[in-house]
Amino acid sequence: MNEGYPVTVYQEPDLQQSCLVLGWREDAANLGRRITDYLNLKLKGQRFAEIEPEVFFPMGGVAIKDNVARFPESKFYVCPDHEMVVLQTDSPLAEWYKFLSSVLDVAERHCRIRELYALGAMISFSAHTSPRQLLGIANSVEMKETLSQYDLNRDVDYQTRPGERPTLNSYLLWLARERNIGAVSLWVPIPFYLAPTEDAQARKRVLSFLNERLRLRIDFCDLDQEIRRQNEQLARARSRFPQVDDYINRLESNLMLSEEENGELIKKMEDVLREGG
Amino acid sequence: MGIRLCQEPRLENPILVASWPGIGNIGIIAVDTLRGMLGAEELGQIEPWEFFYPKMVLIRKGVLESLEFPGSRFYFKRAGGGDIVFFIGEEQPTEGARIYAEGKKAYRMADLVLDVAERFQCRRIYTSGAAVALIHHTTKPRVWAVPNSESLIPEVEGYGNTVLMSDIEGRGGHGNITGLNGLLLGVAKKRGVEAICLMGEIPVYLQGLPLSYPKASKSVLEVLSDGLKVQADLNTLDELDQKVQQRVEEFYQQIPSEIRGQLDRLKQVSYTQPTEPGPITEEEEKKILEEVESFFKKQAEGG
Repeated sequence: MNEGYPVTVYQEPDLQQSCLVLGWREDAANLGRRITDYLNLKLKGQRFAEIEPEVFFPMGGVAIKDNVARFPESKFYVCPDHEMVVLQTDSPLAEWYKFLSSVLDVAERHCRIRELYALGAMISFSAHTSPRQLLGIANSVEMKETLSQYDLNRDVDYQTRPGERPTLNSYLLWLARERNIGAVSLWVPIPFYLAPTEDAQARKRVLSFLNERLRLRIDFCDLDQEIRRQNEQLARARSRFPQVDDYINRLESNLMLSEEENGELIKKMEDVLREGG
Repeated sequence: MGIRLCQEPRLENPILVASWPGIGNIGIIAVDTLRGMLGAEELGQIEPWEFFYPKMVLIRKGVLESLEFPGSRFYFKRAGGGDIVFFIGEEQPTEGARIYAEGKKAYRMADLVLDVAERFQCRRIYTSGAAVALIHHTTKPRVWAVPNSESLIPEVEGYGNTVLMSDIEGRGGHGNITGLNGLLLGVAKKRGVEAICLMGEIPVYLQGLPLSYPKASKSVLEVLSDGLKVQADLNTLDELDQKVQQRVEEFYQQIPSEIRGQLDRLKQVSYTQPTEPGPITEEEEKKILEEVESFFKKQAEGG
């Protein structure tokens, strides 16, 4: 690895005009990781490059999650026959500009990238029975125009609130624009009590858009089955625990829960979904 | 990547005045007030992306309109033979969870500021920050001055309401200046440029509060305008000071009465080396500090 280009390329991909889909490994409901895993599985993604971690993550040991030692990863996969590249990555903890520039360097130098899609999950205080809306934020008016035929909210207004900072997705979109690369960040709301586990319906919402937009021809029958299974688990939890049902009823009526009630619902749902209903 | 200048004026005999945020934002308020008062023009900036994470995004109708980074900007003012270059850093480049800059990025930023200073042949640099002191908030803060060369000491001794580190009891002329307001002094010394850091006193019990302390900024501004030989309306900060003092007083009344009683005694403290025994002994000073610290610790744990 050289200092200016912290990337290891294992194999040059043969791409002419590709699209890059980027998922963050640690977002709500593991959305980014689950979607990129799914794309790699369905489209037979093959790892061809990775960003070396030492500049972007503290190398003071390893984190342990679910009993397993974790190490930061930023891996690029090429999907043969689809002019598509998938990046599954941890969020860097330092040198963000250099990290995001490295992502775009790989995209430009090795993938001849045409468009970029960055995935993001938002915490929502709605019930899981509400439909998942997909929001698209483009880095140019022209890019926004190309999204007009799809079922997504393209009219988001947002400004960073005091005490907060922009997301890495916004930073990436801005850097992509500096390089004349069209980019879109796709945001899907995740009911807060599903954030620690998973939300199959939210995943399908994003994947359906990518399937249509990038003409991937993925058959989602396995994902539909997963959605059914999760819905059944959630329905069982409601009938087993009247308190859970009451909380969700209130969310369905657009009522807010107290902080304590939110915590209780999160805990109960996490237990239910982890033990399989 | 580095410096981006929007103009390159010919400046006469300039002095650079730099500041970044710090405790009570004492230095940056003083420097920015002076910059505004003199109507300094924008000169350029240090490109931010190497140093900072963006601070704000604006998305309008689904399109990312702008992404803003903390500014690190230069300004200049012609002042008839003693021109001034200002540098205002909106944030210190930090690494990890640290509050003040240190390490490679801090050094790099200090170097870039010095590059501009040398490009315009600045003969001196002033930086400015805060000095945490055992004083009361009703007393006028003094300014601790630290030059980067012995030859500047006689000049500093001539400034009003200013003390050298050796004047401060128990310090023996030693101390630290944290962050870029201090580091710039060192980098200037390395490059053979003379520099002085002016630090306004802030009461020890206010250092952790999210409040600016304009009373000390005013003290710094007095010394700075004297050093730069410019006329500054020193009352500009009075209105802000009154507002802050009101909040400080509200906070002060929440402190338990026995600790407040100890702090009240600071009204009589003269912090320079006493020629005769002062109103508070060394042991009492230590006790006050311990009690204040323990009070804030309990406050933090409780909320």
